Amino acid sequence: MKQYDTLVIGGGPAGLAAAIGAKKENGEVLLLEREQRLGGILKQCIHDGFGLIQFKERLSGPEYVERFIQEFLSLNIDYETLAFVIKIDKKEGFYHVSYVSKKGVCEVTVRSLIIATGCRERTAKQIQIHGTRPSGVFTAGCAQHFVNLLGEKIGNKCVILGSGDIGLIMARRLTLEGMKVLGVYEAKATPSGLTRNLVQCLEDYQIPLYLSHTVTRVFGEERLNAVEIMQVDEKMRPIEGTQEIVECDTLILSVGLIPENEITESLGIALDLKTKGPYVDDYFMSSLENVYICGNALHVNDLVDYVSESGLIAGKNSMRQHVSTQSVSIDLSDDFLYLVPQRVSVHDVQESMFYFRAKKEMKAADLLVKVNGKEIMKRRYKNLKPPEMEKIKVKWEMGKISENDHIEIELKEDLCVK
Amino acid sequence: MEKKIADLQKKLDQKYPGCIQVELDQSRIVLTGVMNSWEDIIDACKMCVQKDKNIHVVNHIELKGVKKPQMRISSIQDTKYDGRHCDVLIIGGGISGASIARELSRYKLDILLVEKESDLAMQASGRNDGEIHPGVDLNKGSLKQKYVVKSNRSFDQLCQELDVPFKRVGQIVGFKDKKLYPIIWAYAMQRKYICGVDDTCLISRKKIKELEPNLSDDIQFGLYNPMAGSVSPYGLTIAYGENAIQNGVEIALNTAVLSMEVNNHKIIRVTTNRGMIYPDIVINAAGVFADDIAKMADDEFFSIHPRKGTDSILDLKAGKMISSIVSTKTLKKDNSHSKGGGIVHTVHDNLLIGPDAIETYEKENFATERKSIDQVFSKHQKTSNIRQSDIITYFTGVRAATFEEDFVIEKGRNTKNIVHCAGIQSPGLTTAPAVSKDVVKMTIDLLSEHKTVEKNELFNPIRKGIPDLKHMDLKKRNELIQKNPDYGIIICRCEEISKGEILDALNSVLEVTTIDGVKKRVRPGMGRCQGGFCMPLVAKIISEYKNIPLSEVRKSGADSIISYGKTKENTDETI
Repeated sequence: MKQYDTLVIGGGPAGLAAAIGAKKENGEVLLLEREQRLGGILKQCIHDGFGLIQFKERLSGPEYVERFIQEFLSLNIDYETLAFVIKIDKKEGFYHVSYVSKKGVCEVTVRSLIIATGCRERTAKQIQIHGTRPSGVFTAGCAQHFVNLLGEKIGNKCVILGSGDIGLIMARRLTLEGMKVLGVYEAKATPSGLTRNLVQCLEDYQIPLYLSHTVTRVFGEERLNAVEIMQVDEKMRPIEGTQEIVECDTLILSVGLIPENEITESLGIALDLKTKGPYVDDYFMSSLENVYICGNALHVNDLVDYVSESGLIAGKNSMRQHVSTQSVSIDLSDDFLYLVPQRVSVHDVQESMFYFRAKKEMKAADLLVKVNGKEIMKRRYKNLKPPEMEKIKVKWEMGKISENDHIEIELKEDLCVK
Repeated sequence: MEKKIADLQKKLDQKYPGCIQVELDQSRIVLTGVMNSWEDIIDACKMCVQKDKNIHVVNHIELKGVKKPQMRISSIQDTKYDGRHCDVLIIGGGISGASIARELSRYKLDILLVEKESDLAMQASGRNDGEIHPGVDLNKGSLKQKYVVKSNRSFDQLCQELDVPFKRVGQIVGFKDKKLYPIIWAYAMQRKYICGVDDTCLISRKKIKELEPNLSDDIQFGLYNPMAGSVSPYGLTIAYGENAIQNGVEIALNTAVLSMEVNNHKIIRVTTNRGMIYPDIVINAAGVFADDIAKMADDEFFSIHPRKGTDSILDLKAGKMISSIVSTKTLKKDNSHSKGGGIVHTVHDNLLIGPDAIETYEKENFATERKSIDQVFSKHQKTSNIRQSDIITYFTGVRAATFEEDFVIEKGRNTKNIVHCAGIQSPGLTTAPAVSKDVVKMTIDLLSEHKTVEKNELFNPIRKGIPDLKHMDLKKRNELIQKNPDYGIIICRCEEISKGEILDALNSVLEVTTIDGVKKRVRPGMGRCQGGFCMPLVAKIISEYKNIPLSEVRKSGADSIISYGKTKENTDETI
């Protein structure tokens, strides 16, 4: 059986960076990708705006990921495409991994695992859309695959539900491909996507955005012929009497992404209900020794630059000699939507990187880090919005985290700033 | 009888003055009139149900101001079957029609099965919970009960022959009130010894906890039937159909019966959207439309009152919580004519929650409603801690109930060359093996009146299904991939379905080259992403297999377009 130091599962932006990171630490690395080509979902993200942080350039998805693919290939890292992991067993400190490919059922033994499986989209049924089951209802990513990769015109008159970035980008994309986008509907009272996308994808094309509205029902026996739209209250429950029928042949759903953690869960790793991804420490290691999670499989990032960054860190860390699963959890205040890593490893440490989202829009807020009640760091944030992720580097001035340390991170809104 | 009718008329006049006329006519009770609400029509018809099961209620009451929807038929219009003669014409490609076709193919006969939809098992047979019932809820005296136990026991052999996954997961009906024990004990003994449901037993709270640790702590004891099972209802129907084809049956999809010419108590000619068919014998297995077919055949002696029910399917993760079929019961009278559904561990290891039961005049309204899901969940959350957030999909089916709430399995009463297999609702999936054998016996009786029917010496009961690589041991899986590398290319990540399995589905003897057809056969798109990732890939495989553009690939029916054409030329991505 072939042996590797690190196996990376997933050849998207997180997995490629992870493999590069591990290889640069002189690791023997294998990367497995389930699709035919490397690049993950970026293959179909032909819009621009990728890489502003990483490369200080505005790249399209394929251009962005191509840079990583080129670096990955130049390092002569072993990889297989159309390779799908079906089973992982832990034995004597190693992981025995079975996967299938055109060659058959293959097995490898590895010391470290990096799970970079990305995320998937929520579906119509998960948000309680009822009615018939016609064709013409697509998740945004599925629509993107048809339009951008296969060059297919999937509809004529579209309604888009969800103002997340993919929904906004698809509104522009479908318009450019000659389809009529009747409107983008959003159940929340505020848009879910980045401000730049609201401007560049909707305003520039005069596509209306309807906040506090949702699609409750679809009509049509064969192809979709209409949807029912309802206004929703502040708890996002439809308000009776506000039903409105909109004739259309296509419904695009951009209603949220969920980290894909089937493999992680099969290993018995617990998931954080807030991120829907696993709990990890500041090495991006899960509760299981030498199993790392990065990218959108850990939590859904707003920008791909952070996805690559987490991959690179996880990759490097996967080559550590001494690992310990001992870690302390962080007490979070209520104003966080989530914060990752959720734990800090017990070790000598100078600094740790965290990513977080605020639960609601805040004009101004202070982030406070406390260890055993003592404030060690304070940072001021302006214009925090849930769709936009923030990154913070915490310097541990004591240079060490021990198991009895009590770490608190607080987000305090400054209500005086309007 | 005259007096009985007069009594019924009096009762109806009291409750619904001046609305309804009752007539006794050739051993059927016919109600006519006009009423304002469908619930009232159902109520009036139910008031007329007789103890004598040979007398059926026929509902001719008009629902005021409502035009009942026409039967939906395919947009295909051609002459493919025009002038086709056959010994037996089976109308309906659900579990009844498909099982009858297969059993009938044991004889040397020219058999044609017509199904109006684009695939088999498109209505009730594809829209139910897949339970193979133990029959513990049925008492002596009904056709349902007559067939259920015998049929249940035949499933191991049947599913082996047809290569259909089947698991005897067992059924537990829990009771929260200890005081009910003596009554339930008596009930169980009656079912076990009088009705022949010999696997029935009562189990303690402790035993329940061993079998199902995630059931409610309030459950005190349970009624247990280890022989209850789970099967894929559409999988079984398709398997029956494929085995029938292998044994010489022709299956015509997208073919709807529109009218019949009946002469001298005999069906002479059957008109479809694809031409006129001339059958010797007709078998009516038309589900919710069985009464319409009977009427066309001038043999209307029963009515179907459609009753819809909605089931939810939970993620595989939730499937680990419960390993059998569970529900809880009180002794409160349940008027809903469904034993109230339950939580079913399906043969694919999901959980299925439901169904409810709602009377409707629309035979094909498969639209789901939020309140159905909410009600079903609040009911079954008393049994176990199921969560709506685990729902991956839901669907609605319509039961083909008669007012007598029993099957109608008999030769025509007025028309001589028809056999009815009607009123098939739960446990119709379970009873299909035995019912189909009886329908075949009746058909052969009729045919034998004027010709000699020979056995089909070449009949082969074995149908080979598509290999299920996910559940295979790794060595065997490896061997198969070595032989056919397409088995190593995973297309559906949620259910782990390979390109090879999808191609096998497209290559089946009953060709159904649609997204839903493939999904029903090998399950891509049945998982938690509901096809978001794999649907474009499956569409592409279909287009390559058929050598057609993606704009000609369909989700299901002829008009269920996925793409309207290319946005640009020369865009191509291989999988």
